[in-house]
Amino acid sequence: MASKFGLAGGIPERRVRPIWDAIDSRQFKNALKQSTTLLSKFPNSPYALALKALILERMGKPDEALTVCLSAKDLLYKNDSVLMDDLTLSTLQIVFQRLDHLDLATSCYEYACGKFPNNLELMMGLFNCYVREYSFVKQQQTAIKMYKLVGEERFLLWAICSIQLQVFCGNGGEKLLLLAEGLIKKHVASHSLHEPEALIVYISVLEQQAKYGDALEILSGKLGSLLMIEVDKLRIQGRLLARAGDYAAAASIFQKILELCPDDWECFLHYLGCLLEDDSNWSNGVLNDPIHPPKFIDCKLSHLADEVFDSCMSNAVAFIQKLQADTSNNILRGPYLAKLEVERRKHLYGKGDDDKIMEALMQYFFRFGHLACFTSDVEVFLEVLTHDKKTEFLEKLMKNSESNSAVPTKELGKSITLLKVQELIGKMYRLPKNELEGSAVQMVEMYCKNLPLSKDLDPQESMHGEELLSMVCNILVQLFWRTGDLGYFVEATMVLEFGLSIRRFVWQYKIFLLHLYSHMGALSLAYEWYKSLDVKNILMESVSHHILPQMLVSPLWVDLNNLLKDYLKFMDDHFRESADLTFLAYRHRNYSKVIEFVQFKERLQHSNQYLVARVEAPILQLKKNADNVEEAECVLDSLKCGIHFLELSNEIGSKSLTFNEDLQSRPWWTPTSEKNYLLGPFEGISYCPRENLTKEREANLRRVIERKSLLPRMVYLSIQSASTLLKENIEVNGSVSDPKISSELKFLLERYAKLLGLSLSDAIEVVVGVSSGLKPSSAIAPDLIDWLNFAVFLNAWNLSSHELAQPDGEGHRPGTWDIVDSLLEKYISEVVRSINPIICAPWIDLPILVQLVTEPLAWHSLVLQSCVRSSLPSGKKKKKGGLDLSNSPLTHVIRESIQSLYGTVEDVMKWLREQIKRPEDENLETILSFVQKTGQNEGPGQVFKILETYVSSVNDAELGERISEAVKSWSPADVARKIITGKCTVLSEFLKICESKFKSLKTLKQQISQV
Amino acid sequence: MTTIRRFCCNDLLRFTSVNLDHLTETFNMSFYMTYLARWPDYFHVAEAPGNRIMGYIMGKVEGQGECWHGHVTAVTVAPEYRRQQLAKKLMNLLEDISDKIDKAYFVDLFVRASNTPAIKMYEKLGYVIYRRVLRYYSGEEDGLDMRKALSRDVEKKSIIPLKRPITPDELEYD
Repeated sequence: MASKFGLAGGIPERRVRPIWDAIDSRQFKNALKQSTTLLSKFPNSPYALALKALILERMGKPDEALTVCLSAKDLLYKNDSVLMDDLTLSTLQIVFQRLDHLDLATSCYEYACGKFPNNLELMMGLFNCYVREYSFVKQQQTAIKMYKLVGEERFLLWAICSIQLQVFCGNGGEKLLLLAEGLIKKHVASHSLHEPEALIVYISVLEQQAKYGDALEILSGKLGSLLMIEVDKLRIQGRLLARAGDYAAAASIFQKILELCPDDWECFLHYLGCLLEDDSNWSNGVLNDPIHPPKFIDCKLSHLADEVFDSCMSNAVAFIQKLQADTSNNILRGPYLAKLEVERRKHLYGKGDDDKIMEALMQYFFRFGHLACFTSDVEVFLEVLTHDKKTEFLEKLMKNSESNSAVPTKELGKSITLLKVQELIGKMYRLPKNELEGSAVQMVEMYCKNLPLSKDLDPQESMHGEELLSMVCNILVQLFWRTGDLGYFVEATMVLEFGLSIRRFVWQYKIFLLHLYSHMGALSLAYEWYKSLDVKNILMESVSHHILPQMLVSPLWVDLNNLLKDYLKFMDDHFRESADLTFLAYRHRNYSKVIEFVQFKERLQHSNQYLVARVEAPILQLKKNADNVEEAECVLDSLKCGIHFLELSNEIGSKSLTFNEDLQSRPWWTPTSEKNYLLGPFEGISYCPRENLTKEREANLRRVIERKSLLPRMVYLSIQSASTLLKENIEVNGSVSDPKISSELKFLLERYAKLLGLSLSDAIEVVVGVSSGLKPSSAIAPDLIDWLNFAVFLNAWNLSSHELAQPDGEGHRPGTWDIVDSLLEKYISEVVRSINPIICAPWIDLPILVQLVTEPLAWHSLVLQSCVRSSLPSGKKKKKGGLDLSNSPLTHVIRESIQSLYGTVEDVMKWLREQIKRPEDENLETILSFVQKTGQNEGPGQVFKILETYVSSVNDAELGERISEAVKSWSPADVARKIITGKCTVLSEFLKICESKFKSLKTLKQQISQV
Repeated sequence: MTTIRRFCCNDLLRFTSVNLDHLTETFNMSFYMTYLARWPDYFHVAEAPGNRIMGYIMGKVEGQGECWHGHVTAVTVAPEYRRQQLAKKLMNLLEDISDKIDKAYFVDLFVRASNTPAIKMYEKLGYVIYRRVLRYYSGEEDGLDMRKALSRDVEKKSIIPLKRPITPDELEYD
């Protein structure tokens, strides 16, 4: 039954080996040939068939592979004498899995296990199948069977993990844990435990039921010796004691750990928390977001009596002093930060002493002020001080930092820290304009002056003082924000480009630049810098938020397509392979990872970005094919006419979304992709907004996904609705339009309107009002694209339903055509007029223009194409005499609508061509004139002037050849040229899109004129 | 102040500031997860107050007989947290586990022959260049196989340098 020695699936191994070798070396043709020969010798061998299926699948022939697999399966089922070994089944399993037929693989194993109920190998295969299917209950049942069969510890733990999975990731009740506990207890009584991971699982099962005492008992018993690292054991012990509420004992355990590892911050917090009997760290209710843990540690202090609090604190201080005295290692930050934390807690309790906090901060500065992490280390402690106290602290720092350190890099580190503290406490942003400029100048001078310190560094190593240029950029953007003077904005890009020409690996500069260029409308340039970050694999989930949202509303469709494709492939690949990795954790007995892997997969599956990408990818395909209704229909066909997305839209309200983006790396002026503070007023925004914006984002994104995923279906229904329009007119009696389409479209319009915050009738009133000028444009401005989409779909619905009253009373024009035409015309021309013609000005409205043309206008053109198509003579049918379509009111409005779109697109093209053909020299001069202001001692250009002077007087000997060459390679004219090219690329891509639309509309015009 | 703990999947979403550094490779998911599933004790992360990721180390234990050894696959520290001997701390941790729990004979690692700063650092931590692997990195650059003997290798046999360089196909492990 199981493969005997020298046999593979019942076939002598020597016959099979060459086939595997051929597969491994990707010689699939050769492998197929050999497998055919093998099959001629063993025509009834399921294994030989499975091999063939595997090869066919690898060759990209999924249908043939499936057929062969199915016949192998039939053979297995039919013939009782046939071998049923794990090798055959696992080979079939691989192919079935790759063909997305996990269920078939599972049923093969189920069948085999039914036939040979005591075969452990087959049962493991079956267990693996259930792992792949995330069927936790069946996993548990299979593991128990294996456990009963051989009594091994590992199978018991497989079962326990499967139970825990039911509780945490499935819908199993917590009482299942009692079952798990019973199973382990019984096993321990008879066999004890032998793996540390098994003990950890045992303890976790008890802990999950709040049986802390039991868990402690086990830990301190014989089983505890399984944990070989003392501190690991102590950590668990401390946690259990704390959760059990025995704070005094827990504190002494944590104290013990700190004596062994004095730098362990988390442990210190636990220690302090336990001293203060604060359960906020331990209560089960606190579900912190593990991806964005809070910067500020929550603590509960109010329940303590005064004297208790005082004595706790003095105990803590004494202990910290001991730690400080004991650690000879002078780079351990721990004991010194601990002092600060104690002062912070006193402050929170209401017994704070600002002077003491400042004193502790000063101490920390003397020791660690030169470190790049100083400011982020002390951020939480500074936070408790009032603004005045912060300023006082800063002054103290300035006074005390004058003592010169012998080591110049340390000296520089301290100077940077001083500047960073000013930034952190908001001082920088309250400075008047000229002082702010002065700070930027000071920083850039500091950067240049200290460049020689990096002379001997490896080119790949970070250089000393790199942060300074990021800070300069922040200030310049701040100045731009305050004054609206484009000069500062251009200057900021120049500074960063300067930094990158010296060392091209600084990702912080790249991210800042990509946001500046995005804001400027030079998106292709932004994308270039993004690509240079080499964002791949899991970083796509945490980093692509820097570029994806802008790309989604840009005309750079090729790049966008790649971005979406790569990202979705990464995610989908992970979802496919994740279960196999989970099984690997089972096999290697790392049980805690099993649950972690399953939870992680779920986290990624609920990623808001993933859901957005899944909706946007097909919408992009629709946009790309909107100039040809047949092609658009093909895309819709492949999307099952948008049905799946409707389901997504329905579900999204109840789905939990996860946010895995790393927002820390974003610049202050755009803390999330939905916010761009450069657009808004200066007032009312904190200088460095880093508050947790997840809640707000969640509601917003839910709405976006819900709305977007309605689109494919609505486009589909709109095309359908228009497809019989003119035919219907011909065939006087027989209406061909499907009432279902009309009623579904109406239903979706109601939903769409609801998402815009109104009932259908109110929403109709809004579009009617705005299009006729009775309501102001601003009524629909915030959701402009959605409103215009709504108008387009409304018109499409009205074509087949005629429910709407005719507004003009004369009955000539169905009003909705007019609404769509006038809205598109009006907003597109408004946007075109509002775009600042200056080449380096922010182009905030360009994405809106692109969306207007590629979304509502495109959808409307599909409706028109569908209408016109229905008027064309099809097949043998000839136009009936009698009815002359050419003069029908409907033909008339369609003609007018085509003409209107045609004119609108033509205007956009005209504007684009004007922008593109502007002479480069003129543009170049414009950009440079913003920063090269000779003779002026204030305003933009001060920082730029320093850089220019520095470059022209570079001292080769002092800087070393490499850096001095790099400095000299910086060319402001090149930067300006890149900006121009970047913007023109975007415009050209947009122009191409418009040209294609224009051509399509021209054809339509001709066709309709022949009706 | 630093908390060193086992690396977990969620850290993959939090290590961006470390991995955006161009010298730190971002591997595919199955690579990380295989390490987590097989050698969770060899994959640790260091966190600063405010829960920022400072750096991490990933490694494994493999080999047979006297070649049973710990291996450092990657060790990296964010620029903000450099010059605090964090890499040393992480390396010591891995050596400790190899030595005390898995009773390995030595720990080894590969480094680009041109990466002088890293080689210097490893030497300071007690590693010696055991052998040169020709064109180990994408068939272009040589790699240096560096080793440090553990307590089980009493005579320090595992670190006696090889006289000649080897080619990647002569390597015992991937």
